[in-house]
Amino acid sequence: MIPSFDYQTPKTLQEACRLLQEACGKAKVIAGGTDLVIGLRNGNQNPQLLMDITNLKELRGIEESDGILSVGAAVSHSEIASSSLVRQFGGVLSDAASEIGSPQIRNLGTIGGNIVNASPAADTLPPLLALEAVGKVVSQKGEREVPVAQLIKGPYETVLQPHEILVRITFKKLSRDINGSFIRLARREAMTIARMSMALLLQVGDGKIKDIRIAPGAVLPAPQRLAEVEEFLKGKLPDQELIRVASRKVSEAMIRHSGIRPSTSYKAPVVEAIFMRAMRKVLER
Amino acid sequence: MEIEFKLNGKLIQVEVPPHWTLLRLLREKLGLTGTKEGCGIGECGACTVVMDGRPVNACLILAPKAEGRSVETVEGLGDQVFLHPLQQSFMDHGAVQCGFCTPGILMSAKALLDGNPHPTKEEVKGAISGHLCRCTGYQQIVEAIEKVSEV
Repeated sequence: MIPSFDYQTPKTLQEACRLLQEACGKAKVIAGGTDLVIGLRNGNQNPQLLMDITNLKELRGIEESDGILSVGAAVSHSEIASSSLVRQFGGVLSDAASEIGSPQIRNLGTIGGNIVNASPAADTLPPLLALEAVGKVVSQKGEREVPVAQLIKGPYETVLQPHEILVRITFKKLSRDINGSFIRLARREAMTIARMSMALLLQVGDGKIKDIRIAPGAVLPAPQRLAEVEEFLKGKLPDQELIRVASRKVSEAMIRHSGIRPSTSYKAPVVEAIFMRAMRKVLER
Repeated sequence: MEIEFKLNGKLIQVEVPPHWTLLRLLREKLGLTGTKEGCGIGECGACTVVMDGRPVNACLILAPKAEGRSVETVEGLGDQVFLHPLQQSFMDHGAVQCGFCTPGILMSAKALLDGNPHPTKEEVKGAISGHLCRCTGYQQIVEAIEKVSEV
C-alpha cells in the first residue's frame, strides 16, 4: 500500500516552479512514475506532495532546429523509439529506448525520468553520453544547462536541487560518417534491468579512427565515457588486434572506476566481449 | 480528489485518494476486478489496461493520472453473450489455463490489433513481451492472436 500525499497537476511551468519552490524539498516531481511509484510503494520515497509535470508543453515534443535535436523530458520511451527525427539524429538512443522494460513500461516511462532516477543501469544514459547530450534545468530562480554526464552524481543521485526541474534534453546531429551501435545484455530479452550495456559511436577517415565515443552502462557507479580508451584508439587502424587490445583497456578502466567487486570476474570478460561486438557492428555498417 | 475520465467508452466522475493506483481504483471502487494485480511493480503485466490506445501497467499509474484520459479494461472488451473475437480465439486455441494473465494479455493484443490489424509473428511476440504467463508457454497465446489478425 502506498502512504498518502497531496497531488497537484500545475497548468504551466511557472506554476510548477513556484509550487516546487514553496514546497521546500517536501515535493517530488512525477512524470511516467515507473520508478517513483515503486519507490512510494516500498517506502523509499515519502513525499508530502507529488507534482505531475507530464503534460506541461515545455516538457513535450521532439523538435529540430539548426542541427540540434531537442527532446522534452516528459517524452516517453515509446515516442522516442518511434521518432524518425531521433533515429536520424542519434540512432543509438532509438535503439536503447526500444529495449527498455516492456511495451507497457515504454508507454509510461520518460527520458527525463530515466535520467533523474539515475539508476546505474539506466538504458538511455550510455547513448545520451555518447551523443554528448545536454539537459536544460529550470527553477523559479532561472535556468541552467548541464551536460547529462554531469547531471548524475552517483547511483540514484543527481546534482538537481529539490526546486529544479529537468525540462529538455538536447544534442547535436551526428555527422553522416559517424556510425553507432547500442548493445544491451540482460538475463532475458524483455522486461529486465540491463546487466551491462554499451553505446558506441565511431568515425573512421582514411582507414583510421578519427573519433570514438565509448559509453558503457551498468558497470560504473555513475555513467561516464571511457576517455582513456577513446584517446588510445584515436588515429589508429581499427583492425582485430587493436580492438582486442582496446577491449582489455575497457575492462581495466571499468575496474579502475568501480573497483574489484564480487561480479568483476563475470563483468570483466563480458564487458570486453560487448565492446568487441559493438566495434564489429559499427565497422560493418 | 475528484477525477473525470472515460472508462470503457463512458465518461465517469469518481472520488479517489491521490495515493491510490489506477488498479486499486478499478478493482476496489469501481468493481472491475477483471484487471488483476500480479507483482504490483510493473513486471508481470497482469494489470495491463489500455490508456489512450496504448497498453500500460495500471499498478504503476496513480489514479489522478487518469484525469481526462480514456481507459479500457477487459470488461469493455466483450461479455459472456458477445465475446470479443480475441476472447473467442483465446478459448478456441487453449490460450487460457489458470487465466490470471489473460485479461492483461487480451488488452495488449487489442491495442496491437487496433493499431496494426495484420502484425507479423514477431510483432505479436513483441506486443506480449511485457506479460508473464506461467501456464501456457505462450505458444497458444501467439496462435490465438495471429488467428484474429488473419480475419
